[in-house]
Amino acid sequence: MPTPHLWLDTYGDELYRFALGRVGGDEVQAEELVQETFLSALSALDTFRGEASERTWLFVILRRKIIDFYRRRARHPEVSLDAVTPAGPVEAAFFRPENGHWRPEQYPAAWQTADGALEQQELQATIRGCQQKLPPQHAAVFAMRFVEELTAEEICQELAITPSNYWVIVHRAKLQLRRCLEKHGLS
Amino acid sequence: MLRLITCQHATMLLEQRADMPLAAADRRSLWLHLRFCPLCQRYATQTVLVAGLARVAAAPRHTAPGLSVAARRRLAAILPGAEK
Repeated sequence: MPTPHLWLDTYGDELYRFALGRVGGDEVQAEELVQETFLSALSALDTFRGEASERTWLFVILRRKIIDFYRRRARHPEVSLDAVTPAGPVEAAFFRPENGHWRPEQYPAAWQTADGALEQQELQATIRGCQQKLPPQHAAVFAMRFVEELTAEEICQELAITPSNYWVIVHRAKLQLRRCLEKHGLS
Repeated sequence: MLRLITCQHATMLLEQRADMPLAAADRRSLWLHLRFCPLCQRYATQTVLVAGLARVAAAPRHTAPGLSVAARRRLAAILPGAEK
């Protein structure tokens, strides 16, 4: 039996911290996601069958809200998804159009990564900053794939994009994030 | 038959390889390219690291502050019977 009167005290902070990590530390957005989660859960109390714990159920709803958040970001009308082609300006900035090889100024440098590099708070802050610099669609697709771990097929369905557009966006996001990390401390 | 591919193509195939099995011709072309291109070899390692880092960076931090008092008040208002 769900106990909505206890949700805030029992799960509120945990849901909020989870959401906060997914929205790059935006406190207002994280609170909104928790609010949307509670509202959806309240309207779906009848569907709670107790097969999973109440906590698991609330987190499933929150994850759905986070994916909706990414989808709204991906629809940000900065660049039309229709215009995504492998011969765009991002590719031209990294590779020479005449032969498709790395431009010398974009050669990937060796990274100094010690064991446990992923755990370094500074590095984590850097990648969060780099993700925020991506165009909204790129950031959304990247997060859906590599943070939420949706499949390519699921992302194409969520965002109503073709697989070829999807791959161009993933490739661009990775190129830009790799370069951003390199510029900000990894090389 | 081995087909020579560009760095742009090779890095795209590296992204696809992480997600799905490549066609045999693409797999061979990528293998050949990586044998002779230290830059794309480097990219292959680094792109995996970028994804891993993003995943770790988005994980909840237990030391992060919880909901503010004002936020708790707003949320309590929508939950029937919650302590305000």
